[in-house]
Amino acid sequence: MFAQQLVNGLVVGAVYALIALGYTLVYGILQLINFAHGEIYMIGAYVGIAVLAVLGTMGLTQTSLALSIVLVFLIPMIYCAAYGITLERVAYRPLRGAPRLSPLISAIGMSLFLQNYVQVVQGARDKAFPNLLELGSFQLFGAYVNGLQIFILVLAVGLMAALQLFIKKTKLGKAMRATAQDRTMASLVGVNVNRVIAFTFAIGSVMAAVAGVMVGMYYGIVNHHIGFVAGMKAFTAAVLGGIGNVTGALLGGFLLALLESFWAGYVSAVYKDIFAFMVLVVVLIFRPEGILGGSGGEADRT
Amino acid sequence: MRKKLFSVLTVLTAAVFLGSAAHGATLKIGVAGPLTGDQAAFGEMLKNGATLAVEEWNAKGGVSVGGKKMKVDILWGDDRHDPREGVSIAHKFVNSGAAGIVGHFNSSVSIPASTVYAEAGVVQITPASTNPKLTEQGFSTVFRVCGRDDQQGEVAANYIVDKLKLKRIAILHDKTTYGQGLADETKRFLEKRGVKPVFYSGVVQGDKDYTPVLTAAKQKNPELVYFGGIHPEAILLVKQMRERLGMKAHFMSGDGIVTDEYYKIAGKSAEGTYITFTPDQTKLAAAQNVIKKHRKRFGKEVGAYTIYSYVAMNMILNSIQATGSTKGEKLAAHLRSKAWNTSLGKLQFNKKGDVLESPYVLWQVKGSKFVQIN
Repeated sequence: MFAQQLVNGLVVGAVYALIALGYTLVYGILQLINFAHGEIYMIGAYVGIAVLAVLGTMGLTQTSLALSIVLVFLIPMIYCAAYGITLERVAYRPLRGAPRLSPLISAIGMSLFLQNYVQVVQGARDKAFPNLLELGSFQLFGAYVNGLQIFILVLAVGLMAALQLFIKKTKLGKAMRATAQDRTMASLVGVNVNRVIAFTFAIGSVMAAVAGVMVGMYYGIVNHHIGFVAGMKAFTAAVLGGIGNVTGALLGGFLLALLESFWAGYVSAVYKDIFAFMVLVVVLIFRPEGILGGSGGEADRT
Repeated sequence: MRKKLFSVLTVLTAAVFLGSAAHGATLKIGVAGPLTGDQAAFGEMLKNGATLAVEEWNAKGGVSVGGKKMKVDILWGDDRHDPREGVSIAHKFVNSGAAGIVGHFNSSVSIPASTVYAEAGVVQITPASTNPKLTEQGFSTVFRVCGRDDQQGEVAANYIVDKLKLKRIAILHDKTTYGQGLADETKRFLEKRGVKPVFYSGVVQGDKDYTPVLTAAKQKNPELVYFGGIHPEAILLVKQMRERLGMKAHFMSGDGIVTDEYYKIAGKSAEGTYITFTPDQTKLAAAQNVIKKHRKRFGKEVGAYTIYSYVAMNMILNSIQATGSTKGEKLAAHLRSKAWNTSLGKLQFNKKGDVLESPYVLWQVKGSKFVQIN
């Protein structure tokens, strides 16, 4: 059972971590909790369904599976990046100089708006996510492992590694780090701060889109409400790991999911969520900045 | 610009007042359930059944109360299966002068809402809330046209013991009044028959991943997993049992999963699922008329609770016409006074407000549809 719970937890953890990245990146740079981030993830899942429906009628899912898989991730990624940039432009940029509470309220408003918008346009019912990848299962140390689970884990970990490399090695990544450390100083040395911030939103949204499509594929069911719970959990994961810290988001995501999984398996499935939040409270009492601490930038000084 | 906006607003407000004035002489009936949200499939059944009944009455000129014909107006309430929403809707209905209520759908909502209706003396008929407690509160104005979970649980338990001859049963529920109530009744009757469940746990409604709790259940090697709850969770449970954990155990649930979405979304994994539900309505001679009308009006087949909602609405309107009153006590007395000839066949209420006979039978998902098997 231990091996099985480990597998269960790792897959959920990968999803939490991917979404948590969006929270943490934006917080690192703007000290803003983008509560609408969970809705971006939900929109990613819906776009995935739409893409699959189109590909299905074109017959592409039959003829070229590989291309279909690329498209079913790529199009939601582009779509959600556009959503993320628009969100920043419409809801947050006009409030950048305002007190910290104003963008927070704006974020909650955007979250409600996007959720209701999708409900109106797509209907309130559960939507089935068509089965694209029929992968077999096998037994490993007594655990039942599905090919899709491995696909999700590999994709998520690969993306997260790529993001780390990007932030560490590229010029744009450097600009992101500079903006996080000190926005005014960064703009003084010639970093286009507005562009960096828009780009940060885009990256977070791309990760959320991937998570959305993965969750759709994995559970086969999507509704307009999934962004709320997932967003809450991912936010918790980000805080647990140390909000503003990219590695912290990964750690927090996996840790939260594994704790939930083992608690539900060994102790009680009824109080699963309570336990997850209890752990958060305990961690915050002893380490208010999260396990790995914040970004070390402006976020920690304000 | 501002002036123009102002005049538009004035006209609009005037229209609202005119509108309400025109509705002054109508008979208001409240219909409430999960009209949106993840259980909207059930809300739609409720809505269509009630609409169909009201349209028939209005086509005949309305309900005659004291020699005057009154058109029927439905007040809609979307409780999104949230008990708090349900209570606030109940207050709204009572304050708007509703003469009767069709609803709510979920037991967890119907029970707290029933207190509000009973205090106000408004008659309430639920088409679907099966938790026994609803009619055990001693309210004389509360009725249900569906069965009760103690009846349903007994049928499920007997089938497991007598027909399937299984001993190792895992029981899960969604912690709601309906889900846990049904699971507990089934558990009680199983134990009465000497079968002690090997696993029993609640799950969180609205969650997506149930593999941890299913993994724990799998350790006990259950031959059958019984779930008390509604279809969104049942879909995920049965899918994850089959696809993620390779569990071959039978899956059984109650009337809360009888929607097309269950087998459409769960697909192959749903095949073979056992369900306790009332006998096939589409085979009832009395129901044929409604089924035809529903097809014509909405372009689709009736759902599990459409006819129940239709019958509940008709019973309220019939009682109002027969007694010439909208007083809850009078309507309740009339509802209890006779055996009703309804589209669901003969129905008679007992003192509590339950139907006298409600035979649950076994259904199974076979070839992507629900089939009655006994």
